[in-house]
Amino acid sequence: MSDLRGDTAVTAGPDAGPVRRARRIDRETAGMLVVPPVLVLLVVAGFVWWRQTADLDATERRQLRWSTVLDQVVQHVQLTVAASVLVVLIAVPLGIMLTRGRLSRFSPLVVGIANIGQSAPSIGLLVLTWIWLNDFGFWSGFRVAVLTLTLYGLLPVLRNTITGLQGVDPALVEAGRGIGMSGPAVLLRVEMPLALPVIMAGVRTSLVLVVGTATLATFINGGGLGSTITSGINLFRFSVMVAGAVLVAALALLVEWLGRVLEVLARPKGL
Amino acid sequence: MGVMRRVRTAVAGCVLVVLAAASASCGLQTAGGAVPSGTLAGDLADAPDLDGVEISVGSKNFTENILLAKIALILFKSAGAEVLDLTNIPGSAAARQAHLSGDIDAMWEYTGTGWLQYLTQPKPIKDEQKQYEAVRDLDLEENGLVWLPPAPMNNTYAFAVTQKNAKKYGITKLSQIGEVPVADRTFCIESEFRDRDDGLEGMLKTYDVPFGTPKGVPEDNLQIYQTGAIYDATASGNCVFGEVFTTDGRILALDLQVLEDDRQYFPHYNVSLVLREELHEAHPEIEELIAPVTEKLTNKTLIRLNAEVDVDGEDPTDVAEGWLRDEGFIE
Repeated sequence: MSDLRGDTAVTAGPDAGPVRRARRIDRETAGMLVVPPVLVLLVVAGFVWWRQTADLDATERRQLRWSTVLDQVVQHVQLTVAASVLVVLIAVPLGIMLTRGRLSRFSPLVVGIANIGQSAPSIGLLVLTWIWLNDFGFWSGFRVAVLTLTLYGLLPVLRNTITGLQGVDPALVEAGRGIGMSGPAVLLRVEMPLALPVIMAGVRTSLVLVVGTATLATFINGGGLGSTITSGINLFRFSVMVAGAVLVAALALLVEWLGRVLEVLARPKGL
Repeated sequence: MGVMRRVRTAVAGCVLVVLAAASASCGLQTAGGAVPSGTLAGDLADAPDLDGVEISVGSKNFTENILLAKIALILFKSAGAEVLDLTNIPGSAAARQAHLSGDIDAMWEYTGTGWLQYLTQPKPIKDEQKQYEAVRDLDLEENGLVWLPPAPMNNTYAFAVTQKNAKKYGITKLSQIGEVPVADRTFCIESEFRDRDDGLEGMLKTYDVPFGTPKGVPEDNLQIYQTGAIYDATASGNCVFGEVFTTDGRILALDLQVLEDDRQYFPHYNVSLVLREELHEAHPEIEELIAPVTEKLTNKTLIRLNAEVDVDGEDPTDVAEGWLRDEGFIE
């Protein structure tokens, strides 16, 4: 990989010093790695403090029962993880295929279809899919929610995979082939590592989207924090509604942050 | 789905109004469409006329309330009144505000809503008639609104089962939940119903199957859905008991059986035409005109009329007029 370094733009930080084979983390990235978890910790601590000290009526206590909130957080994380794994498993291979030779002409069509998935009103997509699939035993509310969230999160990863791979300097691919690498080897050792930052940016966008949209899963018995928010709205308990929304936002921040950590870890050395 | 369509229509309506008149007010527009009329007949043939009386009738933005308002509009117009159609106001708070401020002269209201929400009383009253009298007296005293005698229909919470399950467990009322095996005591509800004071926990306690206990209803037996999805979930057998509203048209469409609330747990939501005091004093004969109609408004009737709008997609005005003609109130 170090052979490639000369050809790619490398922003050397002030502390780059002599050539080291360590990962370079510039100041902005460092900030993005440190600030979100601190913020999330503060928000969660704030929520716990408020929940313990606030003067809540019977309804609010029922809505914010610890066991209920914890269950919902766990379900929300399960929804997000399941959908995101599916998104990556589907969108990345699909994106790779759509940049290979003859298949690439289908890429506008497939991106168009993924666009529809994202622009369809999410609540309609969710409830209609559920009504449609409900009579087949396999499709519990949770599974239907994962399915629709996957459709919903597909586009950013797919588009960024295609964009990232297309952005790789053809000269580098050529060089790879020149030193005798096979097609798959060039893909794995040259193209993918170089496209990774762009792909990961797509994954992070998709993660945040999925966390937010997972609040709708409650409408079809899919679980998650949406239940607290909906109940807060319907019963005019705005503090409960805000609490639910803040927890979802904290989860989104956390998930975004995890995406960044993954990205830094997966980034090829020297890039 | 009906709600979404109405919201869309309302939004589209507002956009059009703003574009056409460049005016920002989307508050109280007439809901559009002419109000049909006929001549009073049958029980109403000798009813006093309302020649030249100006009456504005309002409604909230859900099917049943719009339907009832259309019935009143058609009836008043047939009696000679000059009516103003202010139906389909988004949200009950806004509709109530318009009623209090005098933009609306007459609107159908529910006794439980008036008592618990508008007059913010902490506890519903068990007896239907006493509940009506209490809300009538307090709303007249505080706000100058006259609640005419209520209809038999009671649009409250209830639990429904499929006909198949009703037979299987031999169940017709809520006190029989305990006869259903614990594993089959499954409930499809809204998240709101799980959390509200007069919601699930209180109900299960009243019927001796306490929530969260292995001998009552275990927590895992609960499924949370959006209101509309509950009807489908119940009909498809996702759970045995589904939270419904007693006059919803989907009860008919999906052939569900509503279980009797035999220990009177749920508040009463009987509908009553509520007039502003000025109008009632100037024209007490309105009471005479509407009484025979109100008496005919039963749950069964409203389920059918609501279904004609929500399930068959008919226009509320047509359904209202058709019903008045079928009942022989107008010709």
